[in-house]
Amino acid sequence: MAAPSPRLDPQSRAWTLAAAGLCLLPLLLQLPALLGVGVGVTALLVAAVSWRRPLHAVVRVLLAVILAIVVLWLSHFAIGRDTGCALLAAMLAIKPAETFTLRDARSLLGFALFAPFATFLLDQGPLSLVLSLGGAALALAALLRLAELESGDGLQPLSAWQRFNVVWKLIAIGLPLALAAFWLFPRLATPLWGVPERTMARPGLSDRMSPGEWVDLLTDDTTVLRVQFFGRTPDRSQMYWRGPVLWNFDGRDWTQPSWLRAYPPAPVRRANLVWDYSLEVEPGDSRQLVALDLLNRPPDGTDLSQDHGLFARRSLDALTRWRMQSSPPAAFEASLPPMLRRMALALPAGYNPRSVALGRQWRREVGADDVAVVQRAMSMIRRDFAYTLSVPPLGRDSVDEFLFTQKAGFCEHFSSAFVVLMRAAGIPARVVTGYVGGYWNQLGGYWQVRRSDAHAWAEVWLPNRGWVRMDPTAAVAPDRIYDTLADRASAADSLFGASVPAPVFDVTDWLRHGWNDFALGFDANRQRELLRHLGVNDVDTGKLATLFLLVALGAILWMAWLTARAERERDPVLRAWHRMGRRYARIGLGRAPHETADAWAERVRIARPSLETALRQLSLRFNNWRYAGDRPGREANALIAALRRHRPGTHALHGDSR
Amino acid sequence: MPLGARRTGRRVAARLLAWARPRHPETLPVTFDRRRVYVLPTRFGLFFAVLLLAMWLGALNYNNNPALMLGLLLAGAANTSLLTAHLQLTGLQVSAIDAEPVPAGAPLELRIHARADPGRARRGLRVDSGDSSAVLSLTGGNGQATLALPTHRRGWLDVERLRISTTRPLGLARAWAYVWPDAPLLVYPAPEANGPPLPEGSGANALARLRPSGDDVHHLRSYRRGDARRAIAWKPSARRDTLLVREYEQPMGADVVLDWRQLSGIDYEARIRRLARWIDEAEREGRRYRLDLPGQPPLGPGSGPQQRHACLRALALLPGASGARA
Repeated sequence: MAAPSPRLDPQSRAWTLAAAGLCLLPLLLQLPALLGVGVGVTALLVAAVSWRRPLHAVVRVLLAVILAIVVLWLSHFAIGRDTGCALLAAMLAIKPAETFTLRDARSLLGFALFAPFATFLLDQGPLSLVLSLGGAALALAALLRLAELESGDGLQPLSAWQRFNVVWKLIAIGLPLALAAFWLFPRLATPLWGVPERTMARPGLSDRMSPGEWVDLLTDDTTVLRVQFFGRTPDRSQMYWRGPVLWNFDGRDWTQPSWLRAYPPAPVRRANLVWDYSLEVEPGDSRQLVALDLLNRPPDGTDLSQDHGLFARRSLDALTRWRMQSSPPAAFEASLPPMLRRMALALPAGYNPRSVALGRQWRREVGADDVAVVQRAMSMIRRDFAYTLSVPPLGRDSVDEFLFTQKAGFCEHFSSAFVVLMRAAGIPARVVTGYVGGYWNQLGGYWQVRRSDAHAWAEVWLPNRGWVRMDPTAAVAPDRIYDTLADRASAADSLFGASVPAPVFDVTDWLRHGWNDFALGFDANRQRELLRHLGVNDVDTGKLATLFLLVALGAILWMAWLTARAERERDPVLRAWHRMGRRYARIGLGRAPHETADAWAERVRIARPSLETALRQLSLRFNNWRYAGDRPGREANALIAALRRHRPGTHALHGDSR
Repeated sequence: MPLGARRTGRRVAARLLAWARPRHPETLPVTFDRRRVYVLPTRFGLFFAVLLLAMWLGALNYNNNPALMLGLLLAGAANTSLLTAHLQLTGLQVSAIDAEPVPAGAPLELRIHARADPGRARRGLRVDSGDSSAVLSLTGGNGQATLALPTHRRGWLDVERLRISTTRPLGLARAWAYVWPDAPLLVYPAPEANGPPLPEGSGANALARLRPSGDDVHHLRSYRRGDARRAIAWKPSARRDTLLVREYEQPMGADVVLDWRQLSGIDYEARIRRLARWIDEAEREGRRYRLDLPGQPPLGPGSGPQQRHACLRALALLPGASGARA
């Protein structure tokens, strides 16, 4: 077996490289644009240059080192999930330079199959799925071609069409086994090792709010949450999905102090109202979750920070589901510790002098009444300000420019300016980001929260009441914020020029939701639930494994039956005829392969006279059916029945005794 | 230690091979049923399995369902490919083998005829025995492969178990089955390279014959295969632009007698080789010949393929040197 591996012919090489390329494509799409294009171009160049003969080893090593350095440099030398994936892509891109024998090609295909796998670690959207499965199918087809090459049967290579047909059959026949394993194989309730985080972030809610950064977010209609309420549903204007709480302001950016996560959540006196709901969270980059208003209790696997930010213990790189109960607060942190109070009043020195002066002026005019100050600010904003997404970039004193020059902006500006005014007036305040509202998907019966629902509002601390939510943006443009405009739904599909009717939007997200339910979000909990529906209660791993083995065995038997069936006699009459021949063989009078039906009947007549009439008639009918030209269907069926009925056994005994 | 391990490994392999079906030579035709078809992963198949395991472990750990599904679909396809490989062989019938006898030392061209229901394409099956291998492809239910077997000794060549195998469709597993035909194949003795010319015949029916040797030029005729090179008349050939052979007239004893007993003084096997050469030479010269072997009725006189086969067969099947002296 130590024989040198055969060299690839051009066709095999083309198949191998095409398969590797298609496997690589979805991964490249998930990398940062510059890196993706760079690796893709490198792959094409390498494949073209080394088409006839391998690249020199030095060149290969040099290429590998350069690509690795570029990848690491682009990710700022942080090793993360995406860095690993990018390195895999880079290595795959230069592998064709040394792929010239059968063994090379097989190892290339083996590693190429890791590219779809890596893609799924980064993204699980429909495009990635389709491309990755296509890549895997093409890789199997390439393996088929390589096996043809290995068998030395070069005379009649299969056509591409035949090859895909074979691949399709292989997958289809293996499907029941795969599905059984998917649904029944015991799932890990907790991971064995942690998932490395991404190092190159995508835009989304984060622990930072910088001016202008949110414009992309607010025009992105990708769904981030799907919510189903059990029992009472809050009004749209109550649907504040609370996310990162931003305390620190440096004149430009609002940031979240991470050390608050180490402290227990602040005490809350809750109102009587309870909202019970489940949350389906699309994968994201950070571990921070959002929850409706204030959570009663963090679900398993999550922690609350001091300011009631919700953090998952695992990274949220795959679809997750959470069951939560929330209530509006009656008093949220009624007594504010002095240190937090200081933090909630801090303003960067030397920034936004006019706003600070205005805040102080209000305080002087109103006196000790905090509520009056808040009302004054709200009424000013409601009266003089407008909502718009097209805002020119603001300068150094961003709040001053917004309050006194632009007088128009979106949630980011409103919340920032409001909190600065409050702090200047001596009222503790902080910015809260998250999502607001939701879109009711009629078809699926659930609420969709999209990236464009991202929002920033303010919380001010009032004596005895604690933190109170104030939304200056909603005061200006309630329709816009609470998502009550009917045409928002179709705005996403304005790609087609005319607005697409809402049902189309509903259907696409409903399908996505179903797919999430059915495949993406399947986990240990879901598995237990599924089995409970099937009447299997309190499943443990042992039971699950047994069930899986049973179903897998069934699937394998089915596969064996299906594949064996393919080789049986196609013609039912011939099949019955052969089966009858086998019955005769059991009493030593089987039809020899060369024997005609008549000769056989004659031989049987001599050996066992009692069997003569029946067999002679049958063989006559068989001959007529087979050789007399037309084959009427009903006659064939009658013949099959007769052939099946005929048993030589008992007659034979009579014949012998006579 | 590795040497010892390797030896143990080889012993285990030999034991397993002895245990594989069929365990005895069998009469053809033989149809492969599922009990005698074996399937084991190839080295690439093992690599693929490791790859899939890594994929599953990663997918289960991250609870990444698309990745898990991808791994499972690949595993399902790989599993089906094992069955498919198995089914490439089950139902295949090795109907016959045959081979033209060759002198020892020359490769024996063994033809293997196979048949199967035409319903399934069975392509690119490999037939191996020892180091030689051939491709067997069935088109329309019939196929034939020619395997070159090395020969070393005259006599019956017992065909070893032939392995018919395939790694298709995906190259992940090799399915194979053995066939052990009990049809022995004949290997003629190897003729000696150089030696004395044919003994002259004697007897009553001596005839004058044309031979491409002798003294008196009779005439020229066109070249026939097997004519001695020295008989070629080069100058006339050049003139006519075709090869011509001189024929001489020589009286000769028509029947050559190749007698074992007259070849005393040389080695036992050398005698056989010389007789084998003489038989070929007599055939080439178109002479009738008779072979006298000890303890056997004389073969011939005669000439032609049948006589040649009978004589060479008798020579090939002579017992070994020690057996003859006893």
